[in-house]
Amino acid sequence: MTATMTELETMTAAKVVDARGAACPGPLLEAKKGMGTVSVGSVIEIWSTDPVTKTDIGAWSTKVGHEFLGVLEADGYDRVFVRRQK
Amino acid sequence: MSDPEKLVFMVLHGPGHPEHATIPFVMACAALASDVQVVMGFQADGVELVRTGIAETIEAPGFPPLKKLLDDYRELGGTLLVCGPCLNSRGLKAPGDLVAGAEVVAAGRFVAEITSATNSLVY
Repeated sequence: MTATMTELETMTAAKVVDARGAACPGPLLEAKKGMGTVSVGSVIEIWSTDPVTKTDIGAWSTKVGHEFLGVLEADGYDRVFVRRQK
Repeated sequence: MSDPEKLVFMVLHGPGHPEHATIPFVMACAALASDVQVVMGFQADGVELVRTGIAETIEAPGFPPLKKLLDDYRELGGTLLVCGPCLNSRGLKAPGDLVAGAEVVAAGRFVAEITSATNSLVY
């Protein structure tokens, strides 16, 4: 993770992807779609109730070359932050 | 520039095994989302999964419905290859009995896809 909790809490994402309720691989596919809608350097935020999404998105970010910024816990779901790098 | 990564998923289980039928689609969609080329090959009872109307009937607990995964897979650009002899032995005809995008092939095509892949997995 490359952002502190404070940085994540004050970060404004260019796109919020609400994948709450979706089972694997739904959040990943929604993240992929969402990433295609923002410019390089922008941040997307994925909301997911699936507890493995945060590690899955982290692995996916490394694989495809995006920057995994970190995770915030919200009320019953995770907020996962990724910066588009290419 | 190196060749792109490619995975082949050989699917041999049909509607009688919803989890075995669903997981290769999950993996294939994740691979496509990760910029990996994907070929799905259907043999034996696996050919039933690409029969028109069958995906709509399959939903393994904990996973998205198979129809959603099939739609996502095709939208992401995945390839569907179906064993011709396996269709013949079941009295199925292409293209009428198969979902859109399914291509009927024989052993030589499967061998070519598998030998040119980064890795192959059998379900």
